[in-house]
This record gives sequence, C-alpha cells and structure tokens, in this order.
Amino acid sequence: MILTVRGLEVFYGPIRAVRCIDLDIEAGEIVALIGANGAGKTTTVRAIAGLAPFLGAITYNGKSLTPNSAEHNLRAGISLVPEGRGILGRMTVEDNLNLGTYCRKDQAQAAKDIDGMFERFPILRERRHSLASLLSGGEQQMLAIARALLSRPRLLLLDEPSLGLAPKTTVAVFELISSLRRDGLTVLLVEQKARQTLKIADRAYLLETGRVVTSGSAAELANDSLMTQAFLGGTPSHETGAP
Amino acid sequence: MLLQQLVNGLTLGAVYTLVALSFSLVMGILSVLNIAIGELFMLGGFIGFAVIASNLPLPVALVFAMAGAAIASFIIQKVAYEPLRDAPLITPMLSTLGFSIILQNIVTNVWGSDPLQLPAELFDADFTVGPVRIGVMQVVVVGVTVVLVGAVAYLVQRTSAGRALRAIAENRDVARMLGVSVSRTTFLAFAISGLLAGAAGVLISLHYAAITPYIGVDIGLKAIAVMVIGGTTRVWGALLAGPLIGVAEVMTIAYGGSQIRDFIVYGLMILILLLRPQGLLGGARSDVGQRV
Repeated sequence: MILTVRGLEVFYGPIRAVRCIDLDIEAGEIVALIGANGAGKTTTVRAIAGLAPFLGAITYNGKSLTPNSAEHNLRAGISLVPEGRGILGRMTVEDNLNLGTYCRKDQAQAAKDIDGMFERFPILRERRHSLASLLSGGEQQMLAIARALLSRPRLLLLDEPSLGLAPKTTVAVFELISSLRRDGLTVLLVEQKARQTLKIADRAYLLETGRVVTSGSAAELANDSLMTQAFLGGTPSHETGAP
Repeated sequence: MLLQQLVNGLTLGAVYTLVALSFSLVMGILSVLNIAIGELFMLGGFIGFAVIASNLPLPVALVFAMAGAAIASFIIQKVAYEPLRDAPLITPMLSTLGFSIILQNIVTNVWGSDPLQLPAELFDADFTVGPVRIGVMQVVVVGVTVVLVGAVAYLVQRTSAGRALRAIAENRDVARMLGVSVSRTTFLAFAISGLLAGAAGVLISLHYAAITPYIGVDIGLKAIAVMVIGGTTRVWGALLAGPLIGVAEVMTIAYGGSQIRDFIVYGLMILILLLRPQGLLGGARSDVGQRV
C-alpha cells in the first residue's frame, strides 16, 4: 500500500469539511475520488499534499505524514496538480517548469527532464517563453501536469484536471492520465465527471458532505445505485450496457 | 542649469530607487509594509560613516553597511514579523514601526543626535562634461545603484531562488506545493531588502557628507511614495518612479523653492492613488500585495 488514510478529519474553523475518511491506494493504481462540490474531495487531497491541517493518520510508504508539511511531502514523492491548475500566470512556461524541479538536487538531470517534457508536450516547447496565463485551458493543464511530474513523484494527486476544459481536451487529459499509470505512476484522481473517470480508474470512492458513502472497483461503482443516482444519470450501467 | 539639475535629480533618484526596491521586495513577498526600512537605510549610513572615519575605503564601508543593515533586517524578520505573520496585516506593520523607533534610538545613543559630517574634501572631486559638473560621488551613487539593481534583477529573474521569490509573491499555496520554503524565501526577501537599504544609506550620506539619525524618516517616506507611484504590484516600477521623483524634487527646489518640494512628491503620490492606484507600471490594484 503506497498510501493509507485513516479517520481523516479536516476543519476550516468550526466547519468540519472532511469527516472520518478512510482511503487505501496500492502502488500503480488510479484511484478516483468522486463527489459533488463541497463533498470534501479537494480538502482531502490538500491534506495528503501537506497543504491543510488534519486530524487522523495519513501513511505514505509506511511513514506517517504530518499536517501542513507540503515541502516534505513533495520531497517524499507526493505531487499535487491543484484545482484550477495552479499555474503561475505572471511567469513564463519555462519558469513554471523550472519551479517543478525546485525541490531536486540533481539539476543537470532536471534540465534533461525539462527537455523530456518538451518532447512529450511539444506545445510547451513552442510556448516556453510565453507567460503561462496566455496559454489555453488545455495547454495550462498540460503545463500543470508536466510541472508536477518534474518533481519525479511516485504518487500524483490530480484535482479536477478536466475542470473548464472542452470535451475534446478533456478526452486528451484522461488519455494522458492513463498513460501516466502505464509509466508506473500511482494516481489519486479527484473528479466530478464520473463516467469518464470510472473508465480509466481501477477503484473509486464516492464522497458526500465530507464522508465516503460508497467505494469499490470502478466496475462495481459503475453499477452502484448511489453512484448512478448522483452522477451517472440514475440507471446502473448493467441495465444500459454502458460502463 | 537644466542639465545640471537633471544629473543631480538622477543621483537622488538612484537612492530612492534602491530604498523603494527594498520596500517593494518585502511587500511583494509578504504583503507587509516594513516601515523600519527607512531606519535600516539610516543605520547603513552611520555604519558607512564610521568605516570611512576609520580611514577605510568606500567598498569596505559599503560591505559593512550592507551587512549591518541585513543583520538588523534579519532581527526585524524574527522579532517584529514572524511571530505576527498570521495576524492582520496592520499588526506586523505597526511592530516594524516600533522597531524603526528603537533603531533610531539605538543610533542616537551610539552616535548622538547631532548631524555627523565628513571633511568636505573627502569625496568632493568632480569633473565637467560640457556645461555640467559631475561629482565623483554622484558617479559612484549611480554606478553602485546600477550594479545593485542589476544584481537583484539577475537574482529575481534568472535564479532558482528568484523564481521561488516570484512564486511566493504570486501564489503562496502553489509555491509551497512546489517545494518552496516560505521561511527561507522570507529570509531572502528580508536579507536583500536590508542589503539594498544599507547600501543606499552609505551612498546618500557620503554624497551629502553628512548624516543624522532622523534621515531615515524622510527618505523612507519618499521611498514609499516612489513605490506607490511606480506601482506596488510591480517591483520594477521603482526603476521608473525613483529617477522621476528624484528629478521632480530637484527641479522643484531649483525652480520653485524647497518649501514646496514635498508638496510635489506627495501630491503626485496622492494623484496616482486617486487616478491610477495600480501605479505607473502596475497591472493590478495597488492595495493588493501581489507583485514582482
């Protein structure tokens, strides 16, 4: 198990945003957190990334993570692509990518890895001297993922990567996420687009008002009544033939 | 006459630029107005004076003054800022105000409250270019300013530490997520700020061959005006506004009288706040502490 979360609770002042969540992620899996706005998905990944205080236990690679320890968690191999992409818009594409390697000591190899990202995402090479705010939504998402990969994570947290993207671009982003798993990366994917998410995920958790209300393999959840009522149009896929 | 005033104004503007950059760097990273920067400038001036009075050369005076002001800046960070970093923005600002008065008090106790003066002949060599007489010290002031601004520009724009500074200024959460240490970056901002203020203190005090413990208030407030006029959302606004205010001040004194010079400088600041609150180079509202 690369990540285990037990009894996670996160408070924003008096408000309990996450209530006693348990999660398990095996190395090499894509695990999805699905839920509506306010379900606690973003808060959960922020706590795992070390960007929020929490109660309970988060264990990564057998070691406990302490709250608000983003720098440590990144160096340990947890990288977050935040909701809204977190692009530094007043900096160039190249500066954003360079910041992706900020935590690394092997700067010579890091420079080669940036070249590797330019080969993987040629549009970023073309726009390397542009301000990141001038990229399209899809290009910004590629930049955010490339930047996160440059820290050489073992666990990638993706918070609503399809948010605000055109349908065609969303398909490309989901294909990219699938390819990351093939490269050996473990992915925790937060999404509201349940149907597309369940197609690429191994397992999923459904969150409502800060709690896990159901979980299981992607195939099981595609037929789960709670999931289908909330996100998949109300009819289990075994009745429609859809996944 | 006009060209001569222009040269004098650019010299004064160079010092304003350094001190305004010192303010901007801290405000850009932390959204805090470190009022004690005026007194770091004054402290740098006194240290520089003490070194020159010991018959050591100007570069040594610059190094000691910059180091002294950077150490004082570090103490301000640890004592007056960090314990209050989660308090409302006005709180650390008030604590740096308290620190500035303490610094002034310390300097008054060490060097006395009367102005100190250097022998007039020490840095009064000059040369003429056409109708303009240029003091060697004026060349030093502008030259050192250009070198320091260039060094800061290189650090901020071209190095990993500079990228970290800009990342924190733009989005602290994203910067933390990328492994940027807020405490190390805060230290760097305070340190550079102290170095610049200390250097400016030496330059202006040697240029005028005199210094008082109260010079920091006047220059500090002018530098804040420069920062506002240049645009508090862009550090580099000081590069435009510093020389502009320096020249405007000197021209006002030359052609209108010294009794109205502050009216012009602060009147311009108020005009900018009313008509273009983001400043001459700013891209966002001046009261938002995101810049660089």
